[in-house]
Formats: sequence, C-alpha cells, structure tokens
Amino acid sequence: MTSPHEPARRDFGAGTVVIQPPAGFWSLDLREVWRHRELLYVLVMRDLKVRYKQAAMGALWALIQPIVAVAIFAVIFGHFAKMPSGGVPYVVFAFAAVLPWTYFAEALRRASTGLIGDAELVRKIYFPRLLTPLALVIAPLAEFAAGFAVLLALLAWYGLTPGPGIVLLPFFLLVATSLALSLALWLAPISVRYRDVGHALPFLIQVWLYASPVAYSESLVPQRWRALYDLNPMVGVISGFRWALLGSGSPDLQAIGLSTAVIVVLLAGGVVFFRKMERSFADVI
Amino acid sequence: MPTSSDTRGDLAICAEGLGKAYVKAIGGSRSDTLRDGLSAAFAKLGRAGPRTPRSNFWALQDASFQIRHGENVGVLGLNGAGKSTLLKVLSRVTEPTTGRATITGRLGSLLEVGTGFHGELTGRENIFLYGAILGMGRAEVARKFDEIVAFAGVEAFVDTPVKRYSSGMYVRLAFSVAAHLEPDVLLLDEVLSVGDLPFQRKCMAFAKDLQKRQATILLVSHNMFSIKTMCERVLYLKQGRIVFDGPTSAGIELYEADGCLEAAAWAAKELADPSVRILEVEIADQTRRLRSVFDRGERLRLRFDYEAKAPIQGANFVVAFIRSDEVACCSYSTELDGLSLDLEPGVNRLELTTPPLSLVSDVYRIEILVREAGFQKLLCAQSGGSFHVRDPLLDTHFGVFHERGAWATNEVVHLARPKVQPRGAEL
Repeated sequence: MTSPHEPARRDFGAGTVVIQPPAGFWSLDLREVWRHRELLYVLVMRDLKVRYKQAAMGALWALIQPIVAVAIFAVIFGHFAKMPSGGVPYVVFAFAAVLPWTYFAEALRRASTGLIGDAELVRKIYFPRLLTPLALVIAPLAEFAAGFAVLLALLAWYGLTPGPGIVLLPFFLLVATSLALSLALWLAPISVRYRDVGHALPFLIQVWLYASPVAYSESLVPQRWRALYDLNPMVGVISGFRWALLGSGSPDLQAIGLSTAVIVVLLAGGVVFFRKMERSFADVI
Repeated sequence: MPTSSDTRGDLAICAEGLGKAYVKAIGGSRSDTLRDGLSAAFAKLGRAGPRTPRSNFWALQDASFQIRHGENVGVLGLNGAGKSTLLKVLSRVTEPTTGRATITGRLGSLLEVGTGFHGELTGRENIFLYGAILGMGRAEVARKFDEIVAFAGVEAFVDTPVKRYSSGMYVRLAFSVAAHLEPDVLLLDEVLSVGDLPFQRKCMAFAKDLQKRQATILLVSHNMFSIKTMCERVLYLKQGRIVFDGPTSAGIELYEADGCLEAAAWAAKELADPSVRILEVEIADQTRRLRSVFDRGERLRLRFDYEAKAPIQGANFVVAFIRSDEVACCSYSTELDGLSLDLEPGVNRLELTTPPLSLVSDVYRIEILVREAGFQKLLCAQSGGSFHVRDPLLDTHFGVFHERGAWATNEVVHLARPKVQPRGAEL
C-alpha cells in the first residue's frame, strides 16, 4: 500500500517533543494550550451534550433553575419583605442578577471539580489539563444565553428597554467568566488531591450568594461596610448587569475597578499554580 | 529539514537516564482528605530541624535507550517492573523525575483503549471527541471518518450512544480512531490483546503497515506472540531498570526464566494470600533430563515442590498448557485423574507425566493451579515456566493439537462431484 503523497523522507521536525523534569516555576508554555484549541471546542460541546442528552426536557432544565430562583426571591423578598428594587418590577430586578449569578456559580462548580470526572482520561492520555477548567467555564455560557433570551422577553413584557449601557454587558460577563476561571484554577488542582473541595464548594457558593446583591440591592449595604463589601467581585458584576439592562443605579466604578484588579491577580497566580500542579495530576488523581 | 547523516537524525526516541519516583507517604497512608494534609503540614511546621526525609519509590530508574525510525520494540517485564511507567513518561501523561527523552515525529499513544470515550455520546460524536483528545484536528477526523468507521466495522451504529455498544464494538472503534492518527511513534500498552481474533489480526496487519511507513512502535505486552510477530528487539525491565536491550528471542528467554513461579496476574484479586505456594518446578523428559524443547510425541515429566500453609482435604492440582497466543490448550487435574490429595502443612512434591504430546509446534507456558475439591475455591495460581514443542510440519495452522485419524477408502459413489460452495460465501 503506497500513497502518492507520501514523501520519500518524512519531515519529523514539526512534532519533536522533549520530555524532561519540570524546568522551573515559570515555564508555562501556553502555546501548548493554543495548539490544542480544537480540543477546547470539543470539550465544551461534550459537556453540553452529555448534560442534556438523556433528559426528556433537555435544555429546558437550564432555564428552570434561574426561573425557580427568581420565583422564590420574588415571593419572599419582593412580596413578603417588600425589598426595594430601584423602581423596576422586582421580578426583573431579581432576574437581571440571578442570570449572571447562576452562570458564575455553575461555571465555578463545574470547572473546579471537572477534572475528577475525567480521571481516567487524565491517567491515560496527555493533553494540556488547563483545557478542562477552561472548557467548563465556557460551556455554561450556552445556558446563560438561553436565560438571557427569557430575560429579554421579560423586559419586553414589562415594556422596559435597556439603555445604551447594554454594550458593556459583555464586559461584565467577561469579568464573571474570568472570576470563575481564576478561582477554578486554584481549586481544581486541590480537588484532584482532596475531594473535600467538592463538598465545600456548594456551601461556599450558598454563602457567596447572600454576600452578593442578588436578592437585594447593594444600596442596602451600610456605607461603612461598602469598601469591604466591594471586595467581592460579584458585586461589581451584578450591579453592572442591573445598570446595563435596567438603567437602575449607576455602575459602581470603584467596585468594578477593584474586582478587575483582584481577578487579574487571582488569574495570573491561578495559571502558574495550575500549570505547576498539573504535572502530578496523573499520579494523584 | 536538514538532511541529517548522523545517526541521531534517524532516532525516533532517544531516552537518557529517564527516572520516575513516586513519593511514599510516611507511615504508609496517603493524606487523602484535606484535614490529613493540613495536619501533616502543621506537623511539619512544628517540627524543628531538618525535614523528615521522604521515602521515594523508583518505578523507573536510569532508563537509556535509542530507537530508530521504523523500528518496533517490545517492552517486557513482570508486573510492576516499570513498563507502564515508562510508557506513561514517554506519552507525557506524567513527568519524569530525572533524565530526558526526545521523541521525533508525531506521537500517538494508546495506554488503554477507549478511555477518551463518553458513554452518553454517539459513535460519531465520540470519534471527534477522541480524535481531538489524541491530537487530531476536526478536518482531519472528518477526512478519515469513513475509514475509521469501516475499520471498526460499526457502520450501522455510528449514531447510537456507545454505552449501548458491545464491548467488542467499543474497543474496535477506540482502536480504530487511534490507529488512524497516523503517528510516527506509537506507544501501545497491552491494547492489541483486546478484541476478538479477527480484529487482533487486523490490528497486527495495521501495525505492520505502519512499520512499512517508517513508523516506530513501542509495545508493552504480556503476550509473547504479539511481541514475537511485531518486534525484532525488546527492552526487558526488572524492578524499574532496563536489564536487557537486544534481540527478541534472547529477551523472551530471560523474561520467561524470571517469570517462572510468578503469581498469575488474573488471580491476583482472588488470591491475596494463597494457602498453597509452588516453590520449584522442573521440566524434564521421561529420563528425568531437564529440557525445554520437546519433539511432538514425547512425554513431559513435570515435578514441582509446593508448600501448604494449612491442612487441606482433597486438594485438586491443575496443570494447564497455554500457547503463546494465550490459547489454553489442555490441562491435567489430579481430581479428574482420580487422585485425592490431603495436604499437610509443609513442603511436598508432586510429579506429572503427560501422555505423548500431540500439541503442534509452538511455545507453551505452564500454569499451575490448586483448587479445593470439586473445582471450588482457588488456593494457588502460579506460572510454572514454559517449553517448546518442535515439529517439522505441524504448527498452529493445523489447529491446537494433531492426532491421527482412521481412514477408509470406498468405492466411487459419484463420478462428477457436486458443485462446492466457495469458502467464505456464508459471510
């Protein structure tokens, strides 16, 4: 069997791999991740397909979660507690926050624990492990998009039109994605070693939900606590979403600036930490 | 690319002093929960003076070798000798602790068939998923898609979730994807021994074809038949070190000599603490001369010393001959031959003389099992060495064994023979 496009002497140069002990703390080799970008796409699609494959209601589940959360908030905080909602109907007020929050919580949970589900893969096949958390913060964006369509319908129902601020929405979303990724890069290597992460995370997310202005407005937080409160990057993201979609309040520049700075530091450290730790994943997972 | 005339340019794999150490946790237990890990960390902080030396276990040590393009090399070794660690390091699943290796060309590795598959996804989706994991681009997978499906023989099921596949289909599809990666260097760990015989043949043919295209295969296998047919050279690993690097036949001899009396891998789970142990095996002919090559038709006299840890009523000793392609060809049992053995603690001896060997020429390994009466609970399962059967004509093409039949000629019944259906038409 000879194929015509077979060169007499093959060029092996392109695929040369040098295997040696880790050179140093800073050898990140992010080009390697870039070379595997097609795998990133495949992993994102896999996560989405697998999640909804054998569910009769399929992707509808992606919508039920935020809708139920909003319904509960609307009854308890909107109806009973009469929480101020900045002049817009409470349902819209809550939905504009639940949407980015649900995305963030899902992305953080899946990306932090996703490697364990792929343990067999990690043990047997080489690929840049960074792709797993990366894919798992990207995949929930599809569910976010579905929820966003519902939100737009809700806005239309109440006759509300987003202001020009909506062009900044992708930026706020990017902040949420980066935050989830940066935390996952710290938590995923720990979860590979210690399964405790999987137990602690839902609890952490639950606490974090109430530390973020999802069910209430951040204006309720006393001024003297604001500086501390603003350290939570989700404050900037959620108030940003409300401002961009509903025009309520004004974007808290201080909070956003602070969150971005926090995230950049977390992310840079996370990448280094993850790349350093991934070398031993196959041995300890 | 430089037209390299030096030998280095022809090397597919060049390993220099590769080593891999695993950390053994002090006290024997790994800190698996965060609490254990934290308390261990605090204990370390509180302790004054130098850190406690961590005890390392070297799974692979000082492995140096060079493999040229187009060369197929087998990796031999008993369980735990470091074969899989070597392949894991070379395939970059784990990083070496010492040394370095350079691999030139596209690297493909198959350490276990089907690990990249996801049960919920269809065959089609899995082909793209697995292809991407192995490093193929979408366009490349799409181009080879039909070939992959045809090679695996799952045309009718490409849109069925693979969790509904039979294990054979599953394995065939996984191997097919990996094989179509067209690697320059392919690392295989015990994967050719999966699947049914026709598929195994297909894999062998495929591997030979890869070899023709100057690809290099590094093959780990317990199946001497695969090693013999595919590799001209073997590396023999013992306790993490390469103790032999040379021609296949010499390497296999070493391996088999060491493999004698080794516990059978398949029984490891069932037999954590065997109550009978085989201490020594002698393979001889009827005149008690030690031999390892026999002509077909000769008798084999097998003597073994065993130790029982406790008294056992009606123990059943079974001796099985297993051909190099892992076909169990025949066995002898004390129980079936009407010998009832009551074992007392201590060392004893047992001797088996076989009928004249009718097995065809090949290499056979001996497996010795001890069971409770009535083929019940397994008490011992060990390898007992191997022997060759020699015959100028009769080999595995003639079947497992060959016996004379009784023939009779008859008067002519039909002058013209009826048309015979061509062979294979039933397929």
